[in-house]
Amino acid sequence: MVESILQTLSYAPIQRALAACILCGASCALLSVFVVLMKMPLIGVSMSHAAFAGAVLGMLLDINPFVSGFILCLLTAAVLGPLSDRADMAPENLLGILFSFLMGVAFLGMGILTQTKAGALNLMWGSLLTLSNNDLYVLALVTLVLTVFIVLFFKEIRVVLFSRRLAASSGVPERVIYYILLFMTGAVVSSNLATVGGLLIFALLVQPGAVALQLTYNLKSFFLISAATGILACFLGLVASYVFDIPSGASVVLAATVLFALAFVFSPKRRVVRPIERKIQDENDRR
Amino acid sequence: MTDHYLTLKQVSVRRHQSLLLSGIDLRVSKNEFVGVIGPNGAGKTTLLNVIAGFEKFSGALSLFGEAQTWRRPRQTRLRVGYVPQLLQIDPGFPILARQAVMTGAVGRLGLFRKPGKQEYENTLRLMDMMRVAHLADRPLGQLSGGERQKVSLARAIVQKPDLLLLDEPTANLDIAVQKEVLKLIDEISEREALTILFVTHDFNMLPERMRRAVMLKGGLKVFDGKISAALTGNELSRVFEYPLETFERNGKRFICYG
Repeated sequence: MVESILQTLSYAPIQRALAACILCGASCALLSVFVVLMKMPLIGVSMSHAAFAGAVLGMLLDINPFVSGFILCLLTAAVLGPLSDRADMAPENLLGILFSFLMGVAFLGMGILTQTKAGALNLMWGSLLTLSNNDLYVLALVTLVLTVFIVLFFKEIRVVLFSRRLAASSGVPERVIYYILLFMTGAVVSSNLATVGGLLIFALLVQPGAVALQLTYNLKSFFLISAATGILACFLGLVASYVFDIPSGASVVLAATVLFALAFVFSPKRRVVRPIERKIQDENDRR
Repeated sequence: MTDHYLTLKQVSVRRHQSLLLSGIDLRVSKNEFVGVIGPNGAGKTTLLNVIAGFEKFSGALSLFGEAQTWRRPRQTRLRVGYVPQLLQIDPGFPILARQAVMTGAVGRLGLFRKPGKQEYENTLRLMDMMRVAHLADRPLGQLSGGERQKVSLARAIVQKPDLLLLDEPTANLDIAVQKEVLKLIDEISEREALTILFVTHDFNMLPERMRRAVMLKGGLKVFDGKISAALTGNELSRVFEYPLETFERNGKRFICYG
C-alpha cells in the first residue's frame, strides 16, 4: 500500500498536480476572503468567465491562453472598478449582463474553433494531471504576489474590508487597494484556468471564505482557515479524482462543498447566546 | 478667510434628472457646532457627503483654507472625521470592537507602519470615554445599534480630525440611547475642541452645545442662524411643511405636533 502510494508520488505529473493543488487552493482561498467579506461573488464569477473567454479567444488567435485570459480579466476589471464605484447604479444587473456576455464570447469562440475542442474544454473544468511546468511557475508567482500583498497591507486591507467608505474617510488609499484586488483576482483566476478551470474556480473563490466566516472573528485566522480549507479541498479532490477516476475539477468543488457543510453545522458562531449568558459575560468583561 | 474652516460657494449636486443640492453657500468657523436640519430628501446627507469628499459636485468648496474637489489629498482627509448613520455590518464579520475603533488611526499611521503603544492607548481611552471599553474584545457585529454607534464615534475621534461630520448619528436608536449618544457628542465637542456638523431630521433630539442651525429643504438652504431662532413653530412648520408649535417648560423648549 505505502509502496504503491510512494510509487504514485514519484511520477512527475502527480508531483506537479500536488504542487498545483496547494498553490491553487491557497491563491483562490486567499482571494475568497475578499469575495466573501466584500460580498462580491458576482465580481468573482465575472472575472472567471472573462478569464475563460479570454483563454478561448487566445486559442483561436494562437496566443498563450493565460496571457489572453489575463488581458480580458484586466479589461473586465477596468470596467467593473469604476462601475462598482458609482452610487447611482445597481452593479448586480450590469454584472449579470457582463458575465453572460463573456460566456457568449467564450462559447462563440469554442464554436468557431477549428482545432480539437478538448483543450478548450480543459479550460472550463481544468485538468490537474496535465499541467506543464510553466503553468506551475505562473501559479506560484501569482500566489506569492498575492500573499505578499496581504501581508504588507494587512491593516489597510482590514479597513477596506470593513468599509470602503470609512477607509476613504480616514485617509486610507482604498481605491488603490481595491484596484490591486481586482487585478489580483484577474491574475489568480487566469492562472488557475489550467488547474480547476474557468467554471469551477468560482466554487473556490467563495467556499473557503464562507468556511472561515463560520469559524472565526479574527481576520488573521480568517485568512489562514480559508487558505487551509482551499488547500485541503484541492488535495482531497485530487485524491478522489485519482482513486475513483473522476474529473478532478468536479471532485475539488464537491470536496469544498463538503468542508463548507461541515463548518456550517459545527460553527461556534451559530451557537445561540442566551440573554442571561450575555449578561454574565458582560459583567465578567467589566471586571 | 482663513478663520473659516469650511466654505461652500454655490455648491450643487445633480444626479440623473434631479438636483439634490442647489446653490448652497455656507461658511463654518473653527470650533463651531452646526446642526444641518431638514426633512427627508432635503439634501442633508448629500451636503455631508460633498464635504466628506464622497460625492462629485459643482461650485467651490474649501476646507481649512484650501480649495478642494471630491478627490482630495490624504492630509486633508485625515482632518475630516466621519460618522455614518448606521455602522452596517454582518453579525459574523471578523472584526472586534477595538479593532474597528483602531481602523480610524490606520490612515494617519500611513503604509508599512504598525500601530504602536500610543495608538492602542488612545483607542482604549476613547472607548472608555464612549463607555464601550468593556466591549473592546467583542465582535462588532454582535453589538447593539447604540453600542456600535458609540464605537463609530470613538473610531472617528481616534483619527484626530479637526472637522467632524455626523450623519444622523441617533437615527434608529431608542430614546434613552439617543440621549446618551447626544451627551457623548456634547462631551466630544467640549473635550476635543472640534468643529462639528451634525445632520438630523429630528429637531427634538439635538446636542446641547449646538449653537447654529442650517436648515435645508428640497436641496436649498432655507435657514441659517441661531438654533434658538430655528426652533420656532413658524420656522419648523415652514421647513417641514407640517403644523408645529413650541412651548417652554422649566427653561426647556419642547416642540409638539398635532
